[in-house]
Amino acid sequence: MTSASQHLEELREMIAEILELEPEEISDTGDFVEEYEADSLRAIEILAQLEKKYGVEIPQSELPEMQNLEAVYKVVAGYAGWQD
Amino acid sequence: MIEHAELRALLPQRHPILLLDRASVVEPGRRVVGHKAITGSEPCYRDLPDSASPKSFGYPHCLLLESFGQAAAVLWLTSDSDGENEDGVLMFAGARDCRFVGRAYPGDTLHHEVRLEHVIGDNAFASGQTRVGDRVIATFGSLIAVRRPHSALAAPTPSQPRPAP
Repeated sequence: MTSASQHLEELREMIAEILELEPEEISDTGDFVEEYEADSLRAIEILAQLEKKYGVEIPQSELPEMQNLEAVYKVVAGYAGWQD
Repeated sequence: MIEHAELRALLPQRHPILLLDRASVVEPGRRVVGHKAITGSEPCYRDLPDSASPKSFGYPHCLLLESFGQAAAVLWLTSDSDGENEDGVLMFAGARDCRFVGRAYPGDTLHHEVRLEHVIGDNAFASGQTRVGDRVIATFGSLIAVRRPHSALAAPTPSQPRPAP
């Protein structure tokens, strides 16, 4: 498994847990709000969990960008300096 | 050390739902140890019949969580904040990975050890455990609290008059 797909699967698992879904229910581009009924609090939870797990600081202003798994991956990769 | 009078100044809860007596350790931004003594005259035991079994005097989990949450609130309220709603209303928003592994009974004192994990704007995450003596009776993976402006809580104006009863 490449580090990119490994990171993506880690994120899928983390987000599924917060949204109380199974990881396989979360597609790469499924919109958290539209398709999985996430609200602003779930979004903050995801942000907090990302910061804790990867030891990065992601400003709240990035939240509107983070609408699906792929977008979360891009934002985190930027702040964590992943060279995937 | 925060004594009861000072807790009343910090927390909005009052009898019978002010479920914290004292905080012995207060390290702003890091941790708090809060204490709550349980007595037989708690309202939750009032309606138990004389035939009630000893087990039915176990302190209810929901009140234990509320009490722990109040200790967490003390931690947040004594910590520096960079949120937007400094004078907003503090609300319990959620809990994850809470395990109740033992019971507390009248005569016991709950010791809540709360750590502040993370603050993002007006949202705070805490974790910790509750002990009775040396015995851990509950662990809390993540407790989520939010601060929201008073206006967000104002009752919406009803668009339709309510039907007469």
